[in-house]
Amino acid sequence: MLKKRLVGVVTVRHGWAVQSFGYNRHLPIGRPECLVENLDRWGADEILVQAIDRSKGEMGPDFDMLARVGKLGLETPLIYAGGIATEEHATRAIQLGADRICVDYALHHATDEVRKMSARLGAQAIIGAVPINFSQGLRRLDYVTQQERPFGDVIPGLISQRVISELVLIDWKHDGGETHLTPEQLDPLPIPQVPLILFGGFSDPTTTRRFYQHPAVAAVAVGNLFTYREHAYQMYKREVESDLIRPAAYVGASTSKEF
Amino acid sequence: MNRLTVGLVDYGVGNLTSVTHALHDAGFRVRLAGDSTVLDACDVLLLPGVGAFPSAMKKLRDTGLDVYLRNAAKTNRPLLGICLGMQLLAEESFEMGHSKGLGILAGKVIPLRDTPWHIGWNSLKCTMSDSALHSSHGEFFYFNHSFALDGASEHVSAVTHVPGPVTAAVRHGRIAGLQFHPEKSQRAGTSLLRTLIQDIAHA
Repeated sequence: MLKKRLVGVVTVRHGWAVQSFGYNRHLPIGRPECLVENLDRWGADEILVQAIDRSKGEMGPDFDMLARVGKLGLETPLIYAGGIATEEHATRAIQLGADRICVDYALHHATDEVRKMSARLGAQAIIGAVPINFSQGLRRLDYVTQQERPFGDVIPGLISQRVISELVLIDWKHDGGETHLTPEQLDPLPIPQVPLILFGGFSDPTTTRRFYQHPAVAAVAVGNLFTYREHAYQMYKREVESDLIRPAAYVGASTSKEF
Repeated sequence: MNRLTVGLVDYGVGNLTSVTHALHDAGFRVRLAGDSTVLDACDVLLLPGVGAFPSAMKKLRDTGLDVYLRNAAKTNRPLLGICLGMQLLAEESFEMGHSKGLGILAGKVIPLRDTPWHIGWNSLKCTMSDSALHSSHGEFFYFNHSFALDGASEHVSAVTHVPGPVTAAVRHGRIAGLQFHPEKSQRAGTSLLRTLIQDIAHA
Protein backbone atom coordinates (compact mmCIF):
# COMPACT_ATOMS: atom_id res chain seq x y z
CA MET A 1 0.00 0.00 0.00
CA LEU A 2 1.21 3.46 -0.87
CA LYS A 3 1.97 5.24 2.38
CA LYS A 4 1.18 8.83 3.21
CA ARG A 5 4.28 10.91 3.76
CA LEU A 6 5.68 13.13 6.47
CA VAL A 7 7.78 15.75 4.73
CA GLY A 8 10.55 17.52 6.63
CA VAL A 9 10.79 21.17 5.59
CA VAL A 10 13.90 23.34 5.70
CA THR A 11 13.09 27.01 5.14
CA VAL A 12 15.94 29.14 3.80
CA ARG A 13 16.19 32.92 3.76
CA HIS A 14 19.28 34.85 2.66
CA GLY A 15 21.15 31.56 2.51
CA TRP A 16 20.40 30.60 6.12
CA ALA A 17 17.95 28.08 7.45
CA VAL A 18 15.29 29.88 9.49
CA GLN A 19 12.31 29.17 11.62
CA SER A 20 9.30 30.87 10.10
CA PHE A 21 6.30 32.38 11.88
CA GLY A 22 3.24 33.58 10.00
CA TYR A 23 5.15 34.20 6.81
CA ASN A 24 6.65 37.40 8.21
CA ARG A 25 8.97 36.64 11.16
CA HIS A 26 12.08 34.55 10.68
CA LEU A 27 14.62 33.29 13.18
CA PRO A 28 17.99 32.18 11.73
CA ILE A 29 19.10 28.78 12.98
CA GLY A 30 22.04 27.63 10.89
CA ARG A 31 23.25 26.13 7.65
CA PRO A 32 20.56 24.49 5.51
CA GLU A 33 22.73 21.53 4.60
CA CYS A 34 23.14 20.61 8.29
CA LEU A 35 19.37 20.44 8.77
CA VAL A 36 18.94 18.50 5.54
CA GLU A 37 21.62 16.06 6.64
CA ASN A 38 19.77 15.49 9.92
CA LEU A 39 16.47 14.77 8.17
CA ASP A 40 18.25 12.37 5.84
CA ARG A 41 19.83 10.58 8.80
CA TRP A 42 16.50 10.41 10.60
CA GLY A 43 14.88 8.60 7.67
CA ALA A 44 12.46 11.33 6.56
CA ASP A 45 9.98 10.33 3.87
CA GLU A 46 10.85 13.39 1.81
CA ILE A 47 12.74 16.64 2.37
CA LEU A 48 11.49 19.99 1.09
CA VAL A 49 14.02 22.81 0.95
CA GLN A 50 12.28 26.11 0.29
CA ALA A 51 14.22 29.30 -0.32
CA ILE A 52 11.54 31.85 0.51
CA ASP A 53 13.29 35.07 -0.55
CA ARG A 54 14.07 34.12 -4.14
CA SER A 55 10.85 34.86 -6.04
CA LYS A 56 10.12 38.01 -4.10
CA GLY A 57 13.60 39.32 -4.82
CA GLU A 58 13.52 38.02 -8.43
CA MET A 59 16.83 36.31 -7.69
CA GLY A 60 16.11 32.99 -9.36
CA PRO A 61 16.73 29.70 -7.54
CA ASP A 62 19.43 29.40 -4.87
CA PHE A 63 21.59 27.09 -6.94
CA ASP A 64 24.67 27.51 -4.71
CA MET A 65 22.76 26.22 -1.70
CA LEU A 66 21.13 23.46 -3.73
CA ALA A 67 24.54 22.38 -5.04
CA ARG A 68 25.81 22.07 -1.47
CA VAL A 69 22.78 19.99 -0.53
CA GLY A 70 23.08 17.89 -3.70
CA LYS A 71 26.68 17.02 -2.89
CA LEU A 72 25.55 15.35 0.33
CA GLY A 73 24.42 12.35 -1.74
CA LEU A 74 21.11 12.14 0.09
CA GLU A 75 19.33 8.82 0.55
CA THR A 76 16.04 10.69 0.91
CA PRO A 77 13.97 12.23 -1.91
CA LEU A 78 14.56 15.98 -2.16
CA ILE A 79 12.09 18.67 -3.28
CA TYR A 80 13.42 22.14 -4.04
CA ALA A 81 11.28 25.30 -3.98
CA GLY A 82 12.22 28.94 -4.45
CA GLY A 83 12.69 31.23 -7.42
CA ILE A 84 11.99 28.67 -10.12
CA ALA A 85 10.44 30.58 -13.01
CA THR A 86 11.73 28.91 -16.18
CA GLU A 87 12.20 25.47 -17.68
CA GLU A 88 15.97 26.03 -17.46
CA HIS A 89 15.73 26.78 -13.74
CA ALA A 90 13.78 23.57 -13.16
CA THR A 91 16.16 21.44 -15.20
CA ARG A 92 19.19 22.90 -13.44
CA ALA A 93 17.60 22.22 -10.04
CA ILE A 94 17.14 18.56 -10.99
CA GLN A 95 20.69 18.36 -12.29
CA LEU A 96 21.97 19.70 -8.97
CA GLY A 97 20.19 17.02 -6.96
CA ALA A 98 16.49 17.79 -6.55
CA ASP A 99 14.18 14.90 -7.34
CA ARG A 100 11.20 17.19 -7.71
CA ILE A 101 10.63 20.93 -7.82
CA CYS A 102 7.90 23.03 -6.31
CA VAL A 103 6.55 26.19 -7.96
CA ASP A 104 4.30 28.89 -6.54
CA TYR A 105 4.85 32.33 -8.10
CA ALA A 106 5.50 30.79 -11.54
CA LEU A 107 2.11 29.07 -11.53
CA HIS A 108 0.46 32.46 -11.99
CA HIS A 109 3.20 34.55 -13.62
CA ALA A 110 4.98 32.03 -15.89
CA THR A 111 2.31 29.43 -16.53
CA ASP A 112 3.64 28.43 -19.95
CA GLU A 113 7.08 27.84 -18.44
CA VAL A 114 5.51 25.51 -15.87
CA ARG A 115 3.98 23.55 -18.76
CA LYS A 116 7.43 23.33 -20.39
CA MET A 117 8.97 22.12 -17.10
CA SER A 118 6.36 19.40 -16.93
CA ALA A 119 6.88 18.32 -20.54
CA ARG A 120 10.64 18.09 -20.05
CA LEU A 121 10.88 16.59 -16.58
CA GLY A 122 7.59 14.74 -16.33
CA ALA A 123 4.62 15.98 -14.30
CA GLN A 124 5.57 13.68 -11.43
CA ALA A 125 8.52 16.02 -10.85
CA ILE A 126 6.38 19.18 -10.67
CA ILE A 127 4.53 20.24 -7.52
CA GLY A 128 2.40 23.36 -7.23
CA ALA A 129 2.25 25.37 -4.01
CA VAL A 130 -0.28 27.90 -2.84
CA PRO A 131 -0.69 29.79 0.44
CA ILE A 132 -4.40 29.70 1.23
CA ASN A 133 -6.97 31.11 3.58
CA PHE A 134 -10.51 29.86 4.10
CA SER A 135 -11.82 32.88 6.01
CA GLN A 136 -13.87 34.22 3.07
CA GLY A 137 -14.11 31.12 0.92
CA LEU A 138 -10.96 29.67 -0.55
CA ARG A 139 -8.51 32.48 -1.28
CA ARG A 140 -4.83 32.48 -2.10
CA LEU A 141 -2.03 34.76 -0.96
CA ASP A 142 0.25 36.34 -3.54
CA TYR A 143 3.23 36.40 -1.22
CA VAL A 144 5.22 38.77 -3.42
CA THR A 145 2.59 41.49 -3.10
CA GLN A 146 1.27 40.11 0.22
CA GLN A 147 -2.25 40.50 -1.19
CA GLU A 148 -4.97 37.89 -0.91
CA ARG A 149 -6.77 37.06 -4.14
CA PRO A 150 -9.54 34.74 -5.30
CA PHE A 151 -8.19 31.26 -5.88
CA GLY A 152 -8.70 31.66 -9.64
CA ASP A 153 -8.64 29.21 -12.54
CA VAL A 154 -4.93 28.82 -13.21
CA ILE A 155 -4.15 26.07 -10.69
CA PRO A 156 -7.34 24.08 -11.40
CA GLY A 157 -6.40 24.24 -15.10
CA LEU A 158 -2.88 22.94 -14.47
CA ILE A 159 -4.30 20.11 -12.34
CA SER A 160 -6.85 19.15 -15.02
CA GLN A 161 -4.17 19.17 -17.70
CA ARG A 162 -1.92 17.04 -15.48
CA VAL A 163 0.88 19.58 -15.57
CA ILE A 164 1.42 19.31 -11.82
CA SER A 165 1.22 16.07 -9.88
CA GLU A 166 0.65 17.33 -6.33
CA LEU A 167 -0.41 20.56 -4.67
CA VAL A 168 0.99 22.02 -1.45
CA LEU A 169 -1.71 23.88 0.45
CA ILE A 170 -0.09 26.27 2.92
CA ASP A 171 -2.00 27.57 5.90
CA TRP A 172 0.24 30.63 5.82
CA LYS A 173 -1.45 32.57 8.62
CA HIS A 174 -0.72 29.77 11.08
CA ASP A 175 2.77 28.97 9.89
CA GLY A 176 4.77 28.44 13.08
CA GLY A 177 1.65 27.93 15.19
CA GLU A 178 -1.36 25.61 15.06
CA THR A 179 -3.22 25.12 11.80
CA HIS A 180 -6.81 26.29 11.60
CA LEU A 181 -7.53 24.00 8.66
CA THR A 182 -10.02 21.22 9.21
CA PRO A 183 -10.41 18.03 7.16
CA GLU A 184 -13.98 19.13 6.42
CA GLN A 185 -12.67 22.17 4.53
CA LEU A 186 -10.98 19.85 2.08
CA ASP A 187 -14.17 18.03 1.28
CA PRO A 188 -14.80 19.12 -1.31
CA LEU A 189 -12.25 21.69 -2.42
CA PRO A 190 -13.40 23.78 -5.38
CA ILE A 191 -10.56 22.39 -7.50
CA PRO A 192 -10.05 19.15 -9.47
CA GLN A 193 -8.81 16.13 -7.51
CA VAL A 194 -5.08 16.14 -6.89
CA PRO A 195 -2.94 14.65 -4.11
CA LEU A 196 -2.45 17.30 -1.44
CA ILE A 197 0.53 18.12 0.73
CA LEU A 198 -0.53 20.19 3.75
CA PHE A 199 1.87 22.65 5.36
CA GLY A 200 1.69 25.35 8.00
CA GLY A 201 0.99 24.80 11.66
CA PHE A 202 1.02 20.99 11.81
CA SER A 203 2.81 20.92 15.13
CA ASP A 204 0.35 18.49 16.76
CA PRO A 205 0.72 14.84 15.66
CA THR A 206 -2.92 14.12 16.50
CA THR A 207 -4.03 16.82 14.04
CA THR A 208 -1.78 15.28 11.41
CA ARG A 209 -3.29 11.84 12.09
CA ARG A 210 -6.78 13.23 11.44
CA PHE A 211 -5.72 14.77 8.13
CA TYR A 212 -3.99 11.57 6.99
CA GLN A 213 -7.39 9.91 7.10
CA HIS A 214 -8.66 12.24 4.39
CA PRO A 215 -8.31 10.49 1.01
CA ALA A 216 -7.02 13.60 -0.77
CA VAL A 217 -4.12 14.10 1.64
CA ALA A 218 -0.91 12.47 0.39
CA ALA A 219 1.45 14.15 2.82
CA VAL A 220 1.82 16.55 5.71
CA ALA A 221 4.86 18.83 5.81
CA VAL A 222 6.43 20.07 9.03
CA GLY A 223 9.27 22.55 9.44
CA ASN A 224 10.06 24.37 12.68
CA LEU A 225 9.39 21.41 14.93
CA PHE A 226 12.18 19.32 13.38
CA THR A 227 14.92 21.90 13.75
CA TYR A 228 15.83 21.82 17.42
CA ARG A 229 15.44 18.38 18.94
CA GLU A 230 17.60 15.45 17.96
CA HIS A 231 15.50 12.74 16.28
CA ALA A 232 12.42 14.99 16.43
CA TYR A 233 11.22 13.52 13.13
CA GLN A 234 10.98 9.96 14.42
CA MET A 235 9.39 11.05 17.68
CA TYR A 236 6.72 12.96 15.76
CA LYS A 237 6.05 9.95 13.51
CA ARG A 238 5.66 7.67 16.50
CA GLU A 239 3.18 10.09 18.06
CA VAL A 240 1.13 10.15 14.86
CA GLU A 241 0.50 6.41 15.44
CA SER A 242 -0.99 5.65 12.06
CA ASP A 243 -0.77 2.62 9.80
CA LEU A 244 -1.16 5.03 6.91
CA ILE A 245 2.48 6.12 7.18
CA ARG A 246 5.80 4.31 6.90
CA PRO A 247 7.10 3.39 10.35
CA ALA A 248 9.74 5.65 11.85
CA ALA A 249 13.22 4.40 11.04
CA TYR A 250 16.77 5.59 11.31
CA VAL A 251 18.83 5.35 8.15
CA GLY A 252 21.13 2.43 8.68
CA ALA A 253 18.70 0.68 11.00
CA SER A 254 16.37 -2.17 10.18
CA THR A 255 12.94 -1.09 8.98
CA SER A 256 9.55 -2.64 9.56
CA LYS A 257 8.19 -4.63 6.68
CA GLU A 258 4.69 -4.87 5.27
CA PHE A 259 3.45 -8.23 4.00
CA MET B 1 36.71 -11.19 -2.90
CA ASN B 2 37.38 -8.38 -5.39
CA ARG B 3 35.00 -5.45 -5.22
CA LEU B 4 32.83 -5.15 -8.28
CA THR B 5 33.02 -2.00 -10.38
CA VAL B 6 29.71 -0.52 -11.47
CA GLY B 7 29.75 1.60 -14.61
CA LEU B 8 27.20 4.36 -14.07
CA VAL B 9 26.09 5.33 -17.56
CA ASP B 10 26.26 9.12 -17.83
CA TYR B 11 24.18 10.51 -20.67
CA GLY B 12 23.56 13.93 -19.16
CA VAL B 13 20.36 13.49 -17.23
CA GLY B 14 19.94 14.22 -13.57
CA ASN B 15 22.25 14.24 -10.63
CA LEU B 16 24.04 10.99 -10.07
CA THR B 17 25.55 11.85 -6.69
CA SER B 18 22.93 9.90 -4.75
CA VAL B 19 23.29 6.83 -6.97
CA THR B 20 27.08 7.00 -6.62
CA HIS B 21 26.76 7.40 -2.87
CA ALA B 22 24.35 4.44 -2.57
CA LEU B 23 26.62 2.22 -4.68
CA HIS B 24 29.62 3.11 -2.53
CA ASP B 25 27.58 2.37 0.58
CA ALA B 26 26.65 -0.98 -0.93
CA GLY B 27 30.33 -1.79 -1.30
CA PHE B 28 30.97 -1.20 -5.00
CA ARG B 29 33.49 0.81 -6.92
CA VAL B 30 31.83 3.32 -9.24
CA ARG B 31 32.93 4.69 -12.60
CA LEU B 32 30.72 7.49 -13.90
CA ALA B 33 31.17 7.56 -17.66
CA GLY B 34 29.60 8.04 -21.05
CA ASP B 35 32.70 6.70 -22.71
CA SER B 36 32.66 3.12 -23.99
CA THR B 37 36.29 2.47 -23.11
CA VAL B 38 35.65 3.24 -19.45
CA LEU B 39 32.35 1.34 -19.40
CA ASP B 40 33.99 -1.69 -21.07
CA ALA B 41 36.23 -2.03 -18.03
CA CYS B 42 33.31 -2.22 -15.59
CA ASP B 43 31.76 -5.41 -14.20
CA VAL B 44 28.16 -4.18 -14.19
CA LEU B 45 26.42 -1.38 -16.10
CA LEU B 46 23.82 0.78 -14.37
CA LEU B 47 21.48 2.93 -16.47
CA PRO B 48 19.86 5.69 -14.38
CA GLY B 49 17.10 7.95 -15.64
CA VAL B 50 15.29 11.14 -14.83
CA GLY B 51 12.72 13.01 -16.87
CA ALA B 52 10.63 12.05 -19.85
CA PHE B 53 11.22 8.99 -22.04
CA PRO B 54 11.58 10.73 -25.45
CA SER B 55 14.24 13.21 -24.34
CA ALA B 56 16.21 10.49 -22.51
CA MET B 57 16.16 8.21 -25.58
CA LYS B 58 17.28 11.12 -27.73
CA LYS B 59 20.25 11.68 -25.44
CA LEU B 60 21.18 8.01 -25.61
CA ARG B 61 21.00 8.12 -29.41
CA ASP B 62 22.94 11.40 -29.63
CA THR B 63 25.76 9.94 -27.56
CA GLY B 64 25.76 6.54 -29.29
CA LEU B 65 25.09 4.88 -25.95
CA ASP B 66 21.93 3.25 -27.35
CA VAL B 67 24.07 1.06 -29.62
CA TYR B 68 26.55 0.42 -26.83
CA LEU B 69 23.86 -0.75 -24.42
CA ARG B 70 22.16 -3.00 -26.99
CA ASN B 71 25.53 -4.62 -27.72
CA ALA B 72 26.21 -4.99 -24.00
CA ALA B 73 22.93 -6.87 -23.59
CA LYS B 74 23.63 -9.06 -26.64
CA THR B 75 27.00 -10.04 -25.22
CA ASN B 76 25.37 -10.94 -21.89
CA ARG B 77 26.91 -8.17 -19.79
CA PRO B 78 25.12 -7.49 -16.48
CA LEU B 79 22.88 -4.43 -16.83
CA LEU B 80 20.59 -2.74 -14.32
CA GLY B 81 18.12 0.04 -15.21
CA ILE B 82 16.67 2.29 -12.53
CA CYS B 83 13.30 4.07 -12.83
CA LEU B 84 13.27 5.68 -16.30
CA GLY B 85 16.44 3.66 -16.92
CA MET B 86 14.35 0.49 -16.58
CA GLN B 87 11.67 1.84 -18.90
CA LEU B 88 14.30 2.69 -21.53
CA LEU B 89 15.14 -1.02 -21.74
CA ALA B 90 11.68 -1.69 -23.20
CA GLU B 91 10.76 -1.87 -26.87
CA GLU B 92 8.58 1.23 -26.94
CA SER B 93 6.94 3.93 -24.85
CA PHE B 94 3.75 5.93 -25.15
CA GLU B 95 4.90 8.77 -22.93
CA MET B 96 4.32 12.04 -24.83
CA GLY B 97 3.50 10.22 -28.04
CA HIS B 98 5.22 7.11 -29.31
CA SER B 99 8.96 6.47 -28.99
CA LYS B 100 11.13 3.45 -29.62
CA GLY B 101 13.13 2.20 -26.67
CA LEU B 102 16.32 0.18 -26.49
CA GLY B 103 14.41 -3.05 -27.12
CA ILE B 104 16.48 -5.00 -24.61
CA LEU B 105 13.38 -6.20 -22.74
CA ALA B 106 10.08 -7.21 -24.29
CA GLY B 107 7.24 -4.84 -23.48
CA LYS B 108 5.96 -1.32 -23.71
CA VAL B 109 5.79 1.63 -21.34
CA ILE B 110 2.23 2.79 -20.77
CA PRO B 111 0.40 5.14 -18.38
CA LEU B 112 -0.48 3.77 -14.96
CA ARG B 113 -3.98 2.29 -15.03
CA ASP B 114 -5.34 3.02 -11.56
CA THR B 115 -3.86 6.43 -10.82
CA PRO B 116 -2.26 9.29 -12.75
CA TRP B 117 0.77 9.24 -10.44
CA HIS B 118 2.51 6.86 -8.11
CA ILE B 119 4.54 9.02 -5.77
CA GLY B 120 5.88 7.99 -2.39
CA TRP B 121 6.82 4.93 -0.38
CA ASN B 122 5.27 1.62 -1.32
CA SER B 123 6.04 -1.97 -0.44
CA LEU B 124 7.55 -4.57 -2.73
CA LYS B 125 5.91 -7.93 -3.38
CA CYS B 126 8.41 -10.39 -4.73
CA THR B 127 6.89 -12.66 -7.40
CA MET B 128 9.87 -14.88 -8.27
CA SER B 129 10.63 -17.58 -5.74
CA ASP B 130 14.38 -17.62 -6.41
CA SER B 131 14.70 -13.88 -6.90
CA ALA B 132 17.60 -11.87 -5.54
CA LEU B 133 14.90 -9.48 -4.35
CA HIS B 134 13.47 -12.03 -1.94
CA SER B 135 15.10 -10.42 1.08
CA SER B 136 13.45 -7.12 0.09
CA HIS B 137 9.93 -8.56 0.09
CA GLY B 138 7.70 -6.26 2.14
CA GLU B 139 10.26 -3.47 2.38
CA PHE B 140 9.28 0.08 1.43
CA PHE B 141 10.86 1.85 -1.54
CA TYR B 142 10.43 5.30 -3.04
CA PHE B 143 8.45 5.47 -6.28
CA ASN B 144 7.96 8.53 -8.47
CA HIS B 145 6.41 7.80 -11.85
CA SER B 146 3.30 8.04 -13.98
CA PHE B 147 4.19 5.42 -16.62
CA ALA B 148 5.09 1.78 -16.05
CA LEU B 149 6.48 -1.18 -17.94
CA ASP B 150 3.92 -3.59 -19.33
CA GLY B 151 6.18 -6.47 -20.24
CA ALA B 152 6.49 -10.24 -20.34
CA SER B 153 4.99 -11.67 -17.16
CA GLU B 154 7.84 -14.20 -16.81
CA HIS B 155 10.28 -11.29 -16.44
CA VAL B 156 8.38 -9.59 -13.62
CA SER B 157 10.28 -10.22 -10.40
CA ALA B 158 8.33 -7.89 -8.10
CA VAL B 159 5.18 -5.81 -8.12
CA THR B 160 3.71 -3.07 -6.01
CA HIS B 161 0.06 -2.13 -5.62
CA VAL B 162 -1.58 1.24 -6.41
CA PRO B 163 -4.07 -0.49 -5.73
CA GLY B 164 -3.81 -2.71 -8.83
CA PRO B 165 -0.45 -4.41 -9.43
CA VAL B 166 2.30 -2.43 -11.15
CA THR B 167 5.61 -3.87 -12.29
CA ALA B 168 8.16 -2.81 -9.71
CA ALA B 169 11.11 -4.95 -10.83
CA VAL B 170 12.04 -7.11 -13.80
CA ARG B 171 14.71 -9.72 -14.35
CA HIS B 172 15.79 -11.55 -17.48
CA GLY B 173 19.08 -13.34 -17.11
CA ARG B 174 21.72 -10.73 -16.34
CA ILE B 175 19.37 -7.85 -17.16
CA ALA B 176 17.43 -6.29 -14.29
CA GLY B 177 15.24 -3.23 -13.87
CA LEU B 178 13.78 -1.37 -10.90
CA GLN B 179 10.87 1.05 -11.28
CA PHE B 180 11.58 2.68 -7.91
CA HIS B 181 14.62 4.64 -6.74
CA PRO B 182 16.82 2.40 -4.56
CA GLU B 183 19.27 5.26 -4.16
CA LYS B 184 16.51 7.28 -2.46
CA SER B 185 15.14 4.40 -0.43
CA GLN B 186 17.57 4.61 2.47
CA ARG B 187 18.71 1.36 4.10
CA ALA B 188 16.30 -0.83 2.17
CA GLY B 189 17.58 0.57 -1.12
CA THR B 190 21.24 0.10 -0.31
CA SER B 191 20.65 -3.46 0.81
CA LEU B 192 18.71 -4.30 -2.35
CA LEU B 193 21.38 -2.76 -4.60
CA ARG B 194 24.06 -4.81 -2.87
CA THR B 195 22.19 -8.08 -3.32
CA LEU B 196 20.87 -7.49 -6.83
CA ILE B 197 24.11 -6.21 -8.37
CA GLN B 198 26.06 -9.12 -6.90
CA ASP B 199 23.45 -11.47 -8.28
CA ILE B 200 23.38 -10.20 -11.87
CA ALA B 201 27.17 -9.97 -11.89
CA HIS B 202 27.54 -13.62 -10.96
CA ALA B 203 24.50 -15.06 -12.80
